[in-house]
Amino acid sequence: MSTAAINDVKRPNKIHRYKPKDSSAPGDDPTPDYMNLLGMIFSMCGLMMKLKWCAWCAVYCSFISFANSRASEDTKQTLSSFMLSISAVVMSYLQNPQPMTPPWQ
Amino acid sequence: MSPAEARLNPIASRSSQRILFPRRLRRTCFHLIQRVNMKLTLALSLVLLVFLCQNVGGKKSHKPADLDDNEFAEFEDFDDEGAEQEATVEEEADFPSESDDIVKTQAKKDDDNEEEEDEGVVENDDDEFEHFTDEDEFEGFDKESRPGKGKSHEVPDLKIAKVPIHLRTNWDSFYLEMLMLAGLGVYFLNFLAGKTKNGKLAQAWMSSHRSILEENFAIIGDDGLSKEAKGTGVFNKESENVYTLWCSGRTCVEGMLVELRLLKRQDLINVMTTIMKPASDQIIVKVTMDASSMDKFCFCIGQKKVMAKLLKEQPDLGQFTEKKAVENYNLPESFQLQSEIGEATSIVLDKKVCAYLEKYEQQIEYIHISDQYSGAKSQYDENQSKMPDVRPSLVFCFNVPGKGKTKTSDVDGMLPLMKLVFYCVDKVGRLALSKEKRLKAEKNRAKAAEGYLKAAHSQLQEAAQLRREEKRRLAKEKIMNEEDPEKARKWEERESKRDMKKKQAKTKMMKVKGM
Repeated sequence: MSTAAINDVKRPNKIHRYKPKDSSAPGDDPTPDYMNLLGMIFSMCGLMMKLKWCAWCAVYCSFISFANSRASEDTKQTLSSFMLSISAVVMSYLQNPQPMTPPWQ
Repeated sequence: MSPAEARLNPIASRSSQRILFPRRLRRTCFHLIQRVNMKLTLALSLVLLVFLCQNVGGKKSHKPADLDDNEFAEFEDFDDEGAEQEATVEEEADFPSESDDIVKTQAKKDDDNEEEEDEGVVENDDDEFEHFTDEDEFEGFDKESRPGKGKSHEVPDLKIAKVPIHLRTNWDSFYLEMLMLAGLGVYFLNFLAGKTKNGKLAQAWMSSHRSILEENFAIIGDDGLSKEAKGTGVFNKESENVYTLWCSGRTCVEGMLVELRLLKRQDLINVMTTIMKPASDQIIVKVTMDASSMDKFCFCIGQKKVMAKLLKEQPDLGQFTEKKAVENYNLPESFQLQSEIGEATSIVLDKKVCAYLEKYEQQIEYIHISDQYSGAKSQYDENQSKMPDVRPSLVFCFNVPGKGKTKTSDVDGMLPLMKLVFYCVDKVGRLALSKEKRLKAEKNRAKAAEGYLKAAHSQLQEAAQLRREEKRRLAKEKIMNEEDPEKARKWEERESKRDMKKKQAKTKMMKVKGM
């Protein structure tokens, strides 16, 4: 028992609290931010220029942004980007119910 | 045949005259014929009714009844005429443009040829009926506006309206949309699978390392937000592939941050990139020492590929360390050694540590021990005039075996490396350099600090110079805009006097120095 006490390295009186990393600093992975921005751009293009493929790309971008997002990030932004991309897809199909044509046709 | 009848029907009377029979025989025959006639008439009328019904159904052509006998032609013709008239009356209702046809069929009643009659229905312009198209014949007759004529010559230009393909009617044409949705579905499924796998790996690490952590630290797992320092015992989820754990309450150590940097299994694109370019899950252990516990030295050993990157990113490595040969310590060739003080290096790289480095060559990415650790420098801040915030730290980076295809058992195999961490921590805490080495280290740090001061000073000077230039430029502009020549001349005089004074002061200083 005494050896255990000697070897005990724990110091309960020397506890330091965890300081979370500063989230405002640009992290080592900018993927979610880029994808978020790209998704918004694609959504706007899809809505304004009525391009279906733009709207679909926006959905994909917002999905990728959501998958790579950090826990500290605001979910509202990701959700709003997602909603915008969905609305872009729906609007482009309401305005023009034709199916998408691939570029090689 | 009676004379009255003969008058009425001259043809019949002529035919009856041909028959040369005695009178009595003629009379009986006539009576017989009358009776037969009645029956025949009935039969004929039935047949004609049938034909009428057919005509109402749409058949234009109707076969006139065969002429059985010339004797009954009178009845036949009458019936035929009636049927024809009825048929044409029906047709007139359907085809008002073909009003000519009524006239034609009536005119052609003597003609038994069906084909001609049919043709007559189709053909509008016939030589026989030219007088019907003659403008002089009728009043108010407009040849051009004949309704029947236009249709046969002009092919109406039909414009088929483009009906948009409706979603409900034609699913097959939306194959691209189906593909997109399928892709999204696959991505989402992969997200769930990857997230679960990463969670399982973190859980496995925790369960295998819990005992050693509990032996060494007072609290395990702290999010930094709760009021009391109570160990949660679980990871903080930074993202779906990054898990952190803060442990504190140990001798010589301020705290230890364990960061599980797993592969982005939740992102399909990353998964595909990993298939092409295999990468490993990483465990980064950062031990922050107490300020007084560690001696001043800088040391780093790691894989060659990583060392190049570290030298660029870590300012302390670039400033204090030099490349040293690994052969002196009998280490594998894949490692590169950067060290400031040789004595410290030899103390750290003792037999046990060297054995670990040899055994776990693939799994040890790098070991960075430094009292001037500040973390990776930001790429935006190239000219650092201010000394970065430094803490004495030990950073260990380990690769989980499996190269991406990691199993939970692989994570359990990381336990010996955690033991290595604690061994090094204790060693560095006990490390004591000789006096001269300590002085050398302090000299290096003083030099570095001076360098920072100079950089800061030069920056300040530059800023001051720029401000002065700006001031002068503004004053000049003001004078240039000044219309009064008197004022301009006065300002110029003042400026020249100032310049002269400056030059004199400089020459005076030179003279004093020379003396």
